[in-house]
Amino acid sequence: MSAISLLNPKAEFARAAQALAVNMSAAKGIQDVMKTNLGPKGTMKMLVSGAGDIKITKDGNVLLHEMQIQHPTASLIARASTAQDDATGDGTTSTVLLIGELLKQADIYISEGLHPRILTEGYDVARNKALEILETMKVPIEIKRENLLDVARTSLKTKVHPSLADVLTAACVDAVLAIRTPDKHVDLHMVELMEMQHKTATETTLIKGLVMDHGARHPDMPKRVENAYILTCNVSLEYEKTEVNSGFFYKSAEDREKLIAAERDFIDQRVKKIIALKKKLCDGTNKTFVVINQKGVDPLSLDAFAKEGIIALRRAKRRNMERLALACGGTAMNSVDDLSEEHLGYAGLVYEHILGEDKYTFVEECKNPQSVTILIKGPNKHTLTQIKDAVRDGLRAINNAIEDKCLVPGAGAFEIKANIELQKYKDSVKGKSRLGIQAYAEALLVIPKTLAVNSGYDAQDTIVKLQEESRLSPDPIGLDLSTGEAIKPADLGIYDNYIVKKQILNSCSVIASNLLLVDEIMRAGMSSLKG
Amino acid sequence: MSTREILTLQFGHYSNYVGAHFWNIQELGFDYTGTVKAECNHDILYREGQTANGEVTYTPRLLLADLKGSLKTLPTSGGLEEPRVEEDLPWHTVERVEEPTASKNEFLHDIDGENSSNINNKEYNFEQDVQTWTDYLYPRFHPRSVNVIKEYQHGNENESFDYNCSGREIWKSNFGDTFSDKIRKYVEECDSMQGFHVNFDCTDGFSGLALGCIEHLADEYNKVILAFPIIASYFSDNNPSTEDEREKANIKDSVRLVNVALSIEELSQHSALFVPLCTGEKGWRKPGAPRAFDYINYKPEQYYHSSALLASAIDTLSHKYRHKANVHTMSDICADMTGYGRKMAAASFGMPVALKESEYLIDYLNTISKPLYKSITPSCKIATDKIFQLITVRGIPESYLKAPMKEAKDQMKLAAYRCSNVKEMFELYFQANNFLSATNVTVSEKPLDLKTPFPNIFSDCLNKYGFVKDDTVVQKVESCPVIAGFHNGNFMSDVIEKLHRDVSRIKFAKLHKFREQGLEEADYRECLDRLSEFKDNYEDDFEL
Ligand SMILES: Nc1ncnc2c1ncn2[C@@H]1O[C@H](COP(=O)(O)OP(=O)(O)OP(=O)(O)O)[C@@H](O)[C@H]1O
Ligand SMILES: [Mg+2]
Repeated sequence: MSAISLLNPKAEFARAAQALAVNMSAAKGIQDVMKTNLGPKGTMKMLVSGAGDIKITKDGNVLLHEMQIQHPTASLIARASTAQDDATGDGTTSTVLLIGELLKQADIYISEGLHPRILTEGYDVARNKALEILETMKVPIEIKRENLLDVARTSLKTKVHPSLADVLTAACVDAVLAIRTPDKHVDLHMVELMEMQHKTATETTLIKGLVMDHGARHPDMPKRVENAYILTCNVSLEYEKTEVNSGFFYKSAEDREKLIAAERDFIDQRVKKIIALKKKLCDGTNKTFVVINQKGVDPLSLDAFAKEGIIALRRAKRRNMERLALACGGTAMNSVDDLSEEHLGYAGLVYEHILGEDKYTFVEECKNPQSVTILIKGPNKHTLTQIKDAVRDGLRAINNAIEDKCLVPGAGAFEIKANIELQKYKDSVKGKSRLGIQAYAEALLVIPKTLAVNSGYDAQDTIVKLQEESRLSPDPIGLDLSTGEAIKPADLGIYDNYIVKKQILNSCSVIASNLLLVDEIMRAGMSSLKG
Repeated sequence: MSTREILTLQFGHYSNYVGAHFWNIQELGFDYTGTVKAECNHDILYREGQTANGEVTYTPRLLLADLKGSLKTLPTSGGLEEPRVEEDLPWHTVERVEEPTASKNEFLHDIDGENSSNINNKEYNFEQDVQTWTDYLYPRFHPRSVNVIKEYQHGNENESFDYNCSGREIWKSNFGDTFSDKIRKYVEECDSMQGFHVNFDCTDGFSGLALGCIEHLADEYNKVILAFPIIASYFSDNNPSTEDEREKANIKDSVRLVNVALSIEELSQHSALFVPLCTGEKGWRKPGAPRAFDYINYKPEQYYHSSALLASAIDTLSHKYRHKANVHTMSDICADMTGYGRKMAAASFGMPVALKESEYLIDYLNTISKPLYKSITPSCKIATDKIFQLITVRGIPESYLKAPMKEAKDQMKLAAYRCSNVKEMFELYFQANNFLSATNVTVSEKPLDLKTPFPNIFSDCLNKYGFVKDDTVVQKVESCPVIAGFHNGNFMSDVIEKLHRDVSRIKFAKLHKFREQGLEEADYRECLDRLSEFKDNYEDDFEL
């Protein structure tokens, strides 16, 4: 472009329009890829890489991580949407769709000559109103099993087959309830997710205790013990060279052997202390002893333990130190000096399970486990990953519900209701910004529309049906995907998280507005993503 | 004594090139006939396992990381178990999104097929065919080994993985969690682990990733960490032709240099011993002219070439603590090389040790006037005096030592004639040539095997065994004698000095991306100050 055209305001306008068009098409591109995902009837995607790697997913967030997104606008939308997932664990697909739709609706008005600024102002007003409407639709809940089951099931059914979703729903809710102490935030890390290859995924179960992905490294150690004291510790039980300057320039082999012997003695003392406690507590009773160590345990130490019938595991996960203490009681010990019974935990059953080269150790029948394990089973790696992703989402949905102390009816109910209310509200607003509100109200419908299309129903028919029904009904109205008819989502137990909806409303209007105000596009877009 | 296991970690594209050659050398050196006595204990680097179908596997104890799009034909599962694409998915509509199948070059085809034993007799055009390190990779990996960073696309100029801080971020993400859990699983399997080998690209984002990992290792395991920060032999922006390109190259060089400096400084805190490697003479700001090795022609633009040299060096260096005799461990090496806090050492490499085929070692060592090896540490001239060094020599037959008495003639006049084996003779050589120094020599009987796909970079003057020919009959070089060493001494202060000077010239404020990604100028300055303090460890003269 020549220098003179830079001064021409018309050219300026043309450039902005051009940039806007680019943004539109990028948004549309990513929206097209994602829209088939939405809801329990969305398509499952099987991604096969050039080398044959398989990834199976229906999750927007996972898909966005797998996709190669080159276009900066598209990658901006993608990042907004993965930020949504980081914050709440859900709603990535909806975010992409809503941003795309906000742009599309805007385009109609802009092409008629409306300045984008006016629209974004309208979006702002509409967003605030939508948030108000969301408040009115909150369904307060008590933190009880049956209340949590609904939201977990709604989430899981959008990710895995219904029969598996039912299994996972129960496992997730019971897991969270087990580790939760009233009035405290739940630390979801205290639910361990352990994968195990196995023919059928529906055998995924909740273990009220801990499953570890390693086993005893000594052939003579028992494979199964009952009534076990559990010593959880972070103490080196292996000979490690600690000297700073051993030197093979000067020292003879004998010197070295002596050094090793002295070091070794140090370790032996520790092993002896543990064995002494075991003898004191277990000998002559039916009780047994298990050592679970975060540090190493070398063959000589293993030998000594094996002779005493002690199971010893080495290199436990750091996080399992905390989990074990919560599952079995006792304290994770950093030293074995002054070791006594009160430091130990208890498990009714500890046993090993071997699968190919993988070993698992189950610590079960704990008294009051506040850390539990969901043992995920699946026939292959990618199924395991898919289920694990789904379980993570399920757990977060439950936790969101606990934090929010409320739910929002799903199946498009909020979007339909907000659409109607915004239309009414629009009439009370003066000036052109009502056009923005109109566009915003229209854009929200992308959710129920897409849900309908993904189930094979006509988008327009469905919207009309739902709007009519909604005007007549005092209760929220959503879409029954199996019939295409209007229903009360509450009747079918379809609930979404309040926080997820709230986040979607907030982030989508910000990103869409930034993309509309093309002059500021990149800078503004970037900064709004941070923090 | 039981096996002293090592876990190897590779971070970055060039390091994976090096790694591919390294593992090729290991695996192509295995003897399945049971007739050859191996000098090294393979279990140190390898582990025995089982597939889900119960087949026994023997795979490198290895974790590697690279960017999305760099693996081409290698599945992330490591290739041991064929992924099954046909699948019964319990879902109403499934959409398959398939990338075109990555095409295998002739070599990869051959090792897959029945011709796998034939590869040594065949000519391949690796120089053309190799686009990534998996294009000449012979082994298969454990399903745990391959880790792909999905956030960045290999070769994507828009969003390249250029910054130390970006790697740090990745380490802090889910990627780091998964990776450290895999480390734990490997370590759990080991009965008597000696430590970690960490090879990483220190010029880009992988530096941050590797350092994040090294910090974790130092924190979690009481094991030796031997790190090789590696600089590639060449970068595509090294020869700019336009002003615009020059400017871009300049920025790239600066960014790389800052990454190197950050790496070195952090290694001085968390590793036991680290040895920067590059086949270029300078390393920073640019790799510089390729180090010249007699009888070898390699192209620095060909990663496939230069990485083979570094792999051969690392293989030879590590013989010291991989021998079955089990005399030394990594912790010995580190303790001895790093007195006075001098954790950074240099490495040297000589390939081939260019004896004439009719020459005795004693004559060779007596007449040679230049060092037996070249530094492969960038911007480093290895001193001859006041140094500590650990040398490994391989592949010089004892029959080459000296002439038998009757024919010895002048050889008898040399003190070295009293040496009764190769080891003693090299020890004497170093004693004589390195004033006030301590040298420890390890000798491996077997030479370096140069099996396909090792690059064909050898001069026609060499015979089959890598010795200099007396005649001109062309032979394919199948093996060659090699020397490699670790060296340390005050000369290393120059290396740090040069790095510090170069990096101090950079206007950090101009590299705003570093700041955007979370590195504040003040922290950066502090890091440079610590680098300069680290140099002080090398300043004082020490006494032997
Ligand atoms: N049984 C159901 N019937 C109707 N609508 C449902 C049902 N279950 C869920 N939905 C709706 O589906 C939408 C959520 O779909 P989905 O979980 O696939 O996408 P998302 O949450 O936007 O993104 P993500 O991929 O991150 O989960 C919500 O609007 C929800 O109300
Ligand atoms: Mg969802």
